Amino acid sequence: MTRTTLDRALPVESATEPVVAWRAWALTGRRDGTHLLLRPVVGRGRPWLPGRPAEAGCRMLGPFHEAPQLGCSCGLHGTHGLDLLRRTRCPAVLGRVALWGRVIEHESGFRAQYGYPQRLRLICQFCFWQWGTHGVQPAVVGWFPRGELLPMCDDHAEMAGRCGMRPQAWLPFDEIEQRLRDTYAVDPLAI
Amino acid sequence: MDIGQPKRIIEVEPVTLPVPEAIPVPEPRPAQTPEPAEPAP
Repeated sequence: MTRTTLDRALPVESATEPVVAWRAWALTGRRDGTHLLLRPVVGRGRPWLPGRPAEAGCRMLGPFHEAPQLGCSCGLHGTHGLDLLRRTRCPAVLGRVALWGRVIEHESGFRAQYGYPQRLRLICQFCFWQWGTHGVQPAVVGWFPRGELLPMCDDHAEMAGRCGMRPQAWLPFDEIEQRLRDTYAVDPLAI
Repeated sequence: MDIGQPKRIIEVEPVTLPVPEAIPVPEPRPAQTPEPAEPAP
């Protein structure tokens, strides 16, 4: 089915206010906690650059095509609720994201052409998986090879170490979270 | 992550882009210079 045929099957509306949704990101940076970048939690998508709208693109259907398309799963994803994000792999940052351009609303979320974070908070992914946002606030941020940053609460940091998951450096949580918000010029997520 | 079936398409043209116009650059901390020594009496 072509894009036009698929589009005809759904109502199309216009809006002047961005859609706001929940989203989780992975986080990378340098060993000293600088050059922080939000990244998609899955795949090898491009990082979300500070001060610039993230733009979706896709090569899943052969040559590069504009995203999102109905016949594909491409686009910048956001969800209606937080619970769905508990199934994502290795989330380090939780937040509210503004989505605009071409936005496809699904039963439980959105796929969009453009996006930019509005509010951000570091999370302990292990607490988030188990208890959602009722988990414990991270105390430290582990720096792993390839620059991956994983915030953890004290208990899970200790447990991760016992399981052989040892970062090459521990960074202070407060400093990294503040630097992340300063980098993207966004407000804290109060949950 | 499964977000279910598509329901509708929204063409969003925001009046104002939800992107900060200028990312503030943190002010550099002033270099710590030693206080000049008091002249000897």
